[in-house]
Amino acid sequence: MIKMQNIWKSFGSNQVLKDVSITINDGEICALIGENGAGKSTLMNILGGVLPADAGTIYLNGKPVQFANPAESMNAGIAFIHQELNLINDLPVFENMFLGREIRGKWGRLDLEAMMEKTAEMFRRMNLELDPRAMVRDLDASYKQIVEICRAIMMDASVIIMDEPTTSLTEPEIRRVFQMMETLRDQGVGIIFISHKLNEVMDICERYMVLRDGELVAEGKVRDVTTDDLARFMVGHDVRTEQLTRSVRLGEEVLRVEDLTHRTAFRKVSFSVRSGEILGFTGLLGDGRSELFQAIFGAEEILSGRVWLEGREVKIQSTGHALALGVGYLPRNRKENGIIKDMNILENASIVTWPLFAKRGVIDKTRQQALFAEQREQLGIRLQRITDSINTLSGGNQQKVVLAKWLGARPKVLILDNPTQGVDVGAKEEIYDIILDLAEEGMAIIVLSSEAQEVIRLCDRALVMYQGQIQGEVSGITMNEHDIMRLATGGLLDAS
Amino acid sequence: MKAMETGKKTGFGTWLSLRWSTDSHFGTIMVVVALTILQTLVLGFDFDSVGQWFSAWGRNWINILRNNAGVGIIALGMTFVIITGGIDLAVGSTLVAIGAASMMMIDIGPKGFLGNLGISGLPAYGLTIIFALLMGLVLGTLTGLLITKGRIAPFVATLGTMKILRSVTQHFMQGYNPRVPRDFLQLANVQFGGLMFMPIIYWLAIALILVYVSQRTVFGRQVIAVGSNERAAQLSGVNVDRVKVGAYALTGVLVGIASIIQVARIGTMDFANAGSGYEMDAIAAAVVGGTSMRGGRGTIFGTVLGMLIIAVMNNLLNLFGVPPFLREAAKGVIVIASVLLQRKQNV
Repeated sequence: MIKMQNIWKSFGSNQVLKDVSITINDGEICALIGENGAGKSTLMNILGGVLPADAGTIYLNGKPVQFANPAESMNAGIAFIHQELNLINDLPVFENMFLGREIRGKWGRLDLEAMMEKTAEMFRRMNLELDPRAMVRDLDASYKQIVEICRAIMMDASVIIMDEPTTSLTEPEIRRVFQMMETLRDQGVGIIFISHKLNEVMDICERYMVLRDGELVAEGKVRDVTTDDLARFMVGHDVRTEQLTRSVRLGEEVLRVEDLTHRTAFRKVSFSVRSGEILGFTGLLGDGRSELFQAIFGAEEILSGRVWLEGREVKIQSTGHALALGVGYLPRNRKENGIIKDMNILENASIVTWPLFAKRGVIDKTRQQALFAEQREQLGIRLQRITDSINTLSGGNQQKVVLAKWLGARPKVLILDNPTQGVDVGAKEEIYDIILDLAEEGMAIIVLSSEAQEVIRLCDRALVMYQGQIQGEVSGITMNEHDIMRLATGGLLDAS
Repeated sequence: MKAMETGKKTGFGTWLSLRWSTDSHFGTIMVVVALTILQTLVLGFDFDSVGQWFSAWGRNWINILRNNAGVGIIALGMTFVIITGGIDLAVGSTLVAIGAASMMMIDIGPKGFLGNLGISGLPAYGLTIIFALLMGLVLGTLTGLLITKGRIAPFVATLGTMKILRSVTQHFMQGYNPRVPRDFLQLANVQFGGLMFMPIIYWLAIALILVYVSQRTVFGRQVIAVGSNERAAQLSGVNVDRVKVGAYALTGVLVGIASIIQVARIGTMDFANAGSGYEMDAIAAAVVGGTSMRGGRGTIFGTVLGMLIIAVMNNLLNLFGVPPFLREAAKGVIVIASVLLQRKQNV
């Protein structure tokens, strides 16, 4: 049993945790929820030995303990599965499983066979179809997550902290992870589950703890509350969940694609989107939709197919070319594809528009600042100084900065790939509102999302992809999760 | 964060630690100041004849700076290349190649290219300088294309061009020594008040321009973006290949300038040895000045400071009478020590 008592923590003048006390019992899955910047990560980093607390005590089975570094926390039986996974890409899965605790044979020789066998056995027990000899590099994000969880289990952890483990997973994979979590719980392991997906919290957790602005504002049994209650605890006021209906006024066709084919990821994709329309693209992980739009954006090579922009055929050579033509693409996986960590907030928010607002190659700083001041207001970006490092912002605010850089370019078509990934409920609603406003102003918008709910709430119609091809279309008020799931798994809709 | 806590107190100690943790150049500047003071002490301060002492001190400094202006200019280009996450090992060989070709242009011997065309004097000098810059531009661009379109790792690509350029230059120049017209030497050796400081002026002027380029232009900032997160930069509409080629092309042009200065300063060139080791000195200057070999981080000002540290250190070792073979070791120590110091700051 872990008890954190009266924990305080500040960064400079910013009080991040205010007298937080929590308990995690053995054999219990406990949700830790809160908006981005509420202090969840800081609290867990203290438990994981990554950060020291300013004040407060941690009790492990009743005894006070102190963790000077992550290794000490790990040795005490606390496994922290970070959102950014800690796997070595160039080693096979089974060697990653035993990283730092390798099984050795005579003369210090690595007993690869034993490690492989143990890993295989574990995967069998977990009902996983994964080759222990596969290179981690070749796994997609979901399997990497699963390998991390298996590694924690292999370490005989008594408490596992899982920081948004399901963000990049598909529905069947989430099921599998949940099954594993339940097995572990039944074996007496305590699990702290950090997530923004409240449905998952309702599904898998017994207890919840809600942090808001560094304080523990609510806790209790999950069966006594609804997702609406949880959302309200998190943001401090009521949250909308209904479909965002609007009167659609569609304009001219802006982007048309015919028979677009890629070497591996997609083939013969055709669609078109009109001004003022919000078109959804959804499907399971690995359906090829990200690659499709990266290709349209000039970041991937196309084998064959044609693209028209406002009725004119174009051959987009590079991302810079796409930008000049009025195509914007907000990538998924903010950390790898969106954020430039060595640059400050203002620069991250304006990198796209540098060439647009430059005079003879010199950046127009005044104009950039004025533009960002406007966007900061419009998007509700919370920050201290625009010259601070981008890393000082919470996930939701970082996402808004990434969005801001594209809005400044006023694209004709804006492609948003998982725009609310790792973003809390409040910020999510704000981003939805922004998207609706943009469509209202006549921008053609394409939303790529793996969350059926998001597509249904936001989009006028949606195309569902399956293994690199468009499997079918859903639209209007008849859109429902069932149909989307059916198409996404390769099924077809009834002719009626 | 530390700055905020200590900011409430006052006093020299806190000011120092504040500057240390917030200003990334502060430590480097302090090292330059410390070395200069040490150097002044070694030269021997003389109260009785301050004027004479000062002029000796100044001459010593001008000597140091002039001797390092060439590498100093190359190091500025190297900084851009390293920030993109690349490296250019071929700068020394490029210097020799451009130097040889330029000397053939203005040669007053029987093989002189311009001389044989009947062009001499100022027009010849002008053409030669333009030719040197263009040759640098072309070589740098080719290197950049090899790295981007040819997808060869920068280290390998420039290792190759380094070998090719020097060997080809040596082959064509064997047994012939071009003679540079005396007037051309004025470019680097013109005296003002008995002092020859033109190369220093060139160096500082270029540094100033490049500080502006790096901080205010689209190219300068895109270089940082590409080095810090290439994929994110590409997905922000940055033409990554063009930025990288630009960095190598810029370095090529700067090598061309350094080459002209070198030729103008001495009038001859040892094609087997000239410029060798320049790549390492340029990299060292950038690294000592705070440029990260992993890319994404570095400043022109830092590289100038880094070059100063290496130069003053060389001078000091000279004044102390340290045996020549040991001086390279001292350089090695500086590079490692400065990176260790910077690590403390960047936590």
